[in-house]
Amino acid sequence: MDALNLTLLIGASLLFVGLLLGSLSLRFGVPSLLVFLLVGMAAGEDGIGGIQFDDFELAYLVSNIALAIILLDGGLRTRLSTFRVGLKPALTLATLGVALSAGLVGAFATWLMDLDWRIGLLLGGIIGSTDAAAVFNLIKGTGVTLNERVASTLEVESGLNDPMAIFITVLLIEVITTPAFGLGRESLLALVQQFGVGALLGAGLGTLLAELLLRVRSKEGLHALLLCAGGACVFAVTNTLGGSGFLAVYLAGLIAGNRRGGAGDDLLQSMDSMAWLAQSGMFLLLGLLVTPSTLGVHGQEAIIIALFLMFIARPLAVWLCLLPFHFDWREKLFVSWTGLRGAVPIVLAMFPLLAGISETRLLFDVTLIVVLASLLLQGSTMGLLARTLRVSLPLLPKPLQVSAWQGGGHLHLVQFVVEPGARADGKTLASLAVGEARPLLILRGEEQLQDSASLVNAGDHVAWLAPLDEEPSLAALCQTVTPSIKRFYGDFTMRGDVHVADLASAYGIQFDDNGIGRLTLDALFRRRIGQPVVGDALRIGGLRLRVRSMDGERVDQVGIRLPRD
Amino acid sequence: MRVRELLAPERTHFNVQGVSKKRLLDQAAQLVANSCSGLTEQQVFDALVARERLGSTGIGEGIAIPHCRLATCQGPVALLLQLEQPIDFESIDNKPVDLVFVLLVPENNPEQHLKTLSHLAALFNEAGYREQLRSARSAEELFKRATSSEEELQLAS
Repeated sequence: MDALNLTLLIGASLLFVGLLLGSLSLRFGVPSLLVFLLVGMAAGEDGIGGIQFDDFELAYLVSNIALAIILLDGGLRTRLSTFRVGLKPALTLATLGVALSAGLVGAFATWLMDLDWRIGLLLGGIIGSTDAAAVFNLIKGTGVTLNERVASTLEVESGLNDPMAIFITVLLIEVITTPAFGLGRESLLALVQQFGVGALLGAGLGTLLAELLLRVRSKEGLHALLLCAGGACVFAVTNTLGGSGFLAVYLAGLIAGNRRGGAGDDLLQSMDSMAWLAQSGMFLLLGLLVTPSTLGVHGQEAIIIALFLMFIARPLAVWLCLLPFHFDWREKLFVSWTGLRGAVPIVLAMFPLLAGISETRLLFDVTLIVVLASLLLQGSTMGLLARTLRVSLPLLPKPLQVSAWQGGGHLHLVQFVVEPGARADGKTLASLAVGEARPLLILRGEEQLQDSASLVNAGDHVAWLAPLDEEPSLAALCQTVTPSIKRFYGDFTMRGDVHVADLASAYGIQFDDNGIGRLTLDALFRRRIGQPVVGDALRIGGLRLRVRSMDGERVDQVGIRLPRD
Repeated sequence: MRVRELLAPERTHFNVQGVSKKRLLDQAAQLVANSCSGLTEQQVFDALVARERLGSTGIGEGIAIPHCRLATCQGPVALLLQLEQPIDFESIDNKPVDLVFVLLVPENNPEQHLKTLSHLAALFNEAGYREQLRSARSAEELFKRATSSEEELQLAS
């Protein structure tokens, strides 16, 4: 066999085996990223494959492209309403949070390993940001539905925090390589530039790209490719102009995904394979790049640093950053634990290497161990923790199909199967209108029922013309109300516009503040929690109230759990 | 409080014509007023309707537990109705309702009554209990099955 085909065979079979094992990994609750990384390491110089690969430049290039695609895909899947819920806490975590955990880890590493403080802080910056690929992958893959506040905060945080980590890393490299470099105004300016140029170009070029693609109306497969190529251009242009390309490409994805009602199922499916290719390619290559046998040199210290990051630095930073926002302790604890480290730290660890700093190997090895420990420990326990801390919601059924209605503006064709005992079961077709969603048709085997008085049976397929943000309400309508859902929300329900005083007199409950009697339940949630999301709970006079459904930004129904013996 | 402390044979009715939610609450008010001195039909009806206005008391699986507090009520009283035809009750699962358990409580000691209501909701969430009640063929049988069930013993333990 000639050399070309041999290389191709090795590369392709590596990808094949990696993807195969990666797709199985979700069943065992291990992040697939970890599997890719391990497969890469196994194929590498110390493993069974014995492949010699130490081309840092190539790995760096591939990782950058892959991260851009992953962030683009993440932005595309983020609903603007989700983005709004999570933006403020996420932005705080992405800036102050990263700086805090970087500083804490830096100080700790300096003390523990007896390093120059600048090297220690550099290490803190490198492992300071949570990884978009790992977080998106876990939120999608663990089989739990997180409540919207937690999910959006984590998602948006991982999309926004790379600029900060990159900034700290680049700044410290400057400090180390050029002794005359000051930490004053210059560096602050650089930070503003990273965020400012990134946000501006991301929003501007993203809008341009989205409009262009909407006019072209290409086939979905082609559309995804165009989007990726366009996204990569945004990334490159922004980086060249001194902004954060990662931030820009995430924003471009967000805009493209929400322009005129959002991206349809077909586009998202095509983008899904792009994201998988990017993730698997990047992590396999990074796995190949590392030399596991040298990891042992700083192994113990690295593990202690990883534990310090997971159990002290990140929780402390999260706790401080989320103080001004209404997160309860369970949510804070969960956000702390979901600070997954992934590709970004490994890529950042190549920066000092390429800049020629002497302690490079140490930084690279420690970073790798921290990432492995984080993926292994935090990644595999996230689903369990979400259920234990009850930040997850009962799982909603997935729609059979979602596709953009051409010419319908933001409307999509959404189709669900009605489960037995669901709220839709036994209702007329006309009564299934929710908000802006219009029921169109019942499909029952070969039969098609369009009459608005037709009754819906279990097992029917029902189609709606609906905006994407009504999808959860439609899913809830078609879902069997099981005992566990009842336990979660409580036995009785009240409307969100009911006044607290009426609730109090119906159940004879006592509460302290007389002012809240005049509030509606919706307003009570707002006062105690801020913008409520489905699953939010509060206690009043022995009752536990939980938001059961939302109508836009307003609380629609509230579940009530009565005190038990 | 257990079902046998709340219910009485004369307040257990079989094969009731439901027609509509409002008519049913009206009938329930009448039946309660007839068997309890001190309660007027209008009072009971108004209080039950006022509670329904805040949100349906249909808890799903064909069960409704209309409830209210009344100043003139001497002690907790319950009424059990089995309907001939299920009626729409705007329940949480939209299923029509065929078993209605009405609970009236006095205004004192609200904690105790909340626990009673919670116990009833848990009891009616047991599929076995619902099946027992639905297989009854007379008011006497309905009363017996409602007040002496395995499910309630298990919930209590």
